[in-house]
Amino acid sequence: MNEQLIDLAKKSGADFCEIRIEDSTQTSINFQGPELENVQESHMYGGNVRVAVNGTWGFVTFNNPEDLPRRISEAVRNARAASARSKVRSVLAPVEPVQAEVRLELKSDPRAVSLDEKIRLFGGYNQRMLDSPGITSTNVRYFDKLSSIQYANSEGTWIARECADMGMGASALAKKNGTTARGSAAQGGRDDFELFRGMDAEMDKAAKAAVEAASAPVVEGGTYTVVCDPNLAGVFVHEAFGHLSEGDNVAEDPRMQEVLKLGRRFGEDYLNIYDTGLDVGLRGYLPYDDEGVPTEKTWLIRDGVLVGRLHSRETAGRMNEKPTGNARALSYRFPPIPRMRNTCIANGPHGKFEDLIKDIKLGIYAIDSAGGQTNGELFTFTAGQAFMIRDGKVAERIRDVTLGGNVFDTLRNITGVADDYNVHDSSGGCGKAGQMPLPVSHGSPHIKIKDVVIGGR
Amino acid sequence: MGRDFDSGAPGASNTGKAAGREADTGIYEKPAANKFTERLGSLADAYEMYKSEGTSLSVSFENDRLNEIRQGESYGISIRAVKQGKIGFSYSSKPDEIDHVAQSALRMAPWGKPYDYKFAAKAESRHTRPYDPTCGEISVERSVELCENVKHIIKSIDPEATADVSIRGGLNSTRIATSRGQDCREDESGFAYFVSARISEEGNFLTVYRSRGSARVIPDDELLAQARETGQEFKIARKLLPFSRGTYRVLFAPQAVADLLLPIAVGINGMNIARKTSRFVDSLGEELFDKRISLEDDPFHTDAPSGALYDGEGVPAQKRAIVQGGILKGLVHTLSTAQKCGHAPTGNAQRSVSSQPAPGLHSVIMAAGDTELDQMYRDTEGGLCVSQLLGTFTSNFLAGQVSGNVSLGFLVKDGQRAGRVKNCALNVNSFDVLKSQVVSISKQREWVGGEYLPWLLIDGIGISAR
Repeated sequence: MNEQLIDLAKKSGADFCEIRIEDSTQTSINFQGPELENVQESHMYGGNVRVAVNGTWGFVTFNNPEDLPRRISEAVRNARAASARSKVRSVLAPVEPVQAEVRLELKSDPRAVSLDEKIRLFGGYNQRMLDSPGITSTNVRYFDKLSSIQYANSEGTWIARECADMGMGASALAKKNGTTARGSAAQGGRDDFELFRGMDAEMDKAAKAAVEAASAPVVEGGTYTVVCDPNLAGVFVHEAFGHLSEGDNVAEDPRMQEVLKLGRRFGEDYLNIYDTGLDVGLRGYLPYDDEGVPTEKTWLIRDGVLVGRLHSRETAGRMNEKPTGNARALSYRFPPIPRMRNTCIANGPHGKFEDLIKDIKLGIYAIDSAGGQTNGELFTFTAGQAFMIRDGKVAERIRDVTLGGNVFDTLRNITGVADDYNVHDSSGGCGKAGQMPLPVSHGSPHIKIKDVVIGGR
Repeated sequence: MGRDFDSGAPGASNTGKAAGREADTGIYEKPAANKFTERLGSLADAYEMYKSEGTSLSVSFENDRLNEIRQGESYGISIRAVKQGKIGFSYSSKPDEIDHVAQSALRMAPWGKPYDYKFAAKAESRHTRPYDPTCGEISVERSVELCENVKHIIKSIDPEATADVSIRGGLNSTRIATSRGQDCREDESGFAYFVSARISEEGNFLTVYRSRGSARVIPDDELLAQARETGQEFKIARKLLPFSRGTYRVLFAPQAVADLLLPIAVGINGMNIARKTSRFVDSLGEELFDKRISLEDDPFHTDAPSGALYDGEGVPAQKRAIVQGGILKGLVHTLSTAQKCGHAPTGNAQRSVSSQPAPGLHSVIMAAGDTELDQMYRDTEGGLCVSQLLGTFTSNFLAGQVSGNVSLGFLVKDGQRAGRVKNCALNVNSFDVLKSQVVSISKQREWVGGEYLPWLLIDGIGISAR
């Protein structure tokens, strides 16, 4: 099969050709309120052909891979028809061809757990939250997905890769005086179903957070010093800097190359940011990217200075830089584009959480994330929970805390990085160019940021 | 393609959009010898089959140059099968495994949701929607030429702008058949464009964009006119103006109005009504909003990109008032949520072929107001015009909250947008502002995705800023 695929790719007549065939099965469970709303088994099967001709990509997706030569011809024909006007040549950074088989290595296989047992486990969590005083409704979602992906290209690379992905998200809703508030818990990973057991305490915390938030005041809008917990700080670094580091933002934009010039200072000496595909077990783990490039740990900021970015072969080639193994595709329906894996702020020199807040007279402690978005320069994300900080101590709970800011200012305004790094996966994922949710991870210690704009009353 | 499925489900077939023309290809093919639905009917107490297949072609320009021609083929089939009072669900994108999907759905059934309602019964839509087969005949060469023209227009207004353009066309066919005799088929055509002008320079990352979808191929003139508008707004936005936090009169452009309406969409969702998490649980008939606010769900609007003759469960869709004269008039339901709430089905089940149905709106049409847009700009003097918000999807919509960074906002001076303000955010409660802070509503409206919306001028909006 590998020789056949490589041979087909080599004979395409394009500057470059790659073929991907994917076969995935997914089990999904969803409780909503007291009901088991959905139990589902899905089979996703299909493939794509991507070719480059004179700098233009031809990309064809299909569900039936039997007539691959025709699909390749269609991709080449489209790219040729369009590239007649193109003055740009195809550029892909060189990589050594790879022949590899990556088999599943699971600590605990979700397939070995019966559907009955999974439903009892997650149904138990759901019921536990429902039974908590003040909870009006709940939502518990779980999925496990097992995939087998074959990749071949015209340069002789062939990779057969198996992978697993698992995630769970639980939320409890409480309602008081017409205000609905949410508390949540999550878990995720690639190799261990056991992570999803023993989560009763997390469910209790989610229920408590929802009940307390329903009667908490909305934050007063303004500019605050904010301390983010590792989870929210991880989302922050993903949104605020990770996306900016993706090579497709920079490769063909001379102005952006000036803004993101390697060697430019972005923060204080204690700010260190990296993206890695090497953390086995995390959802951001990736032995090879979707162009067949081995992944690595890529430093983005070291000692406050920009030192790297996240590349596909094309963006690396256009910038004369090294591919970093960040070309990722959500599924066979999409082409690979530069994406993050596990994006992290490294530990800093400012001690523990208590050390970060002790000098804050009035600030906000923001915990967990309800999601976020960036446009490269500006970002918005919402805290899962939040408390005021008064006179160096965590004070009353507040709700509906949305943090907004300018990426560049905010990185400069990180005034504290603790040494309590943590990473905790969830069931969500990253969205870009219509490809969502891509499994990623993010980690950080607690961080302190001054002058964060909080949208509030 | 479709040969493995028996079109001979109980009852006659209802063919949407394709009425009056031969519907003899793809999933409308004649029954295969082994009558799949009969077999499924003999194994399941009730069933629903949803089948979808389509093709699409897109041309995209990125960074001022042709980047990609994408050709897609999609196929999917899902089955909900009832056994001993419970529903099992399964999906596959592999064309030859309908039997596997049926077996899997039956295997899932013992753990599934109780079948405490009925799948759609035989019912025929009496409406029509536009269908344009030329959406499936998009020419690569022609689209590339059009993208080039768009790029030239944007760059003629501001040579420093980087243009991104995409044009996409496609056709899709769906079929829903149930054990209760419904067998509806619908052909859909779709065309969409995206135009943006952007620049990323020190201290000013700016993206201005327009996008629109339609069931028909959109004329070149409209696309080129949108390119001009995009370029002109981009030019205004390149001028940055100082701005301080405070309470302002804000003119919300249609794209930002769409954000303001999200809490209403979440509040009328039958799932949130059934779970009693919505503020609107007992609010039908109550005057909750300004009298000038009226919202209608119109699945048949001729210019809408979204909509359907049948919803995702095969129930005929309906044109319905959601808010009329400020009074809450309608909720949106699947068959399941309607049953739970004791309401009549509304034909609002939304789904993809790979997912179970959930309540959702087809195409929101907001009534136009009586004020000219030019006058509204004059009435905004000293205030803001907000065109785009960032990250609002993370807001607590159930509580009415809409919160986000103002990613594209303008200070209004002398009756026009004088320049861009940035590094500011807003956090409003939509239920409150749409009840008592609306100053005026524009006569003009624009399509934002599947919504046709006016501009809203609203008083007393608190803006946080650095």
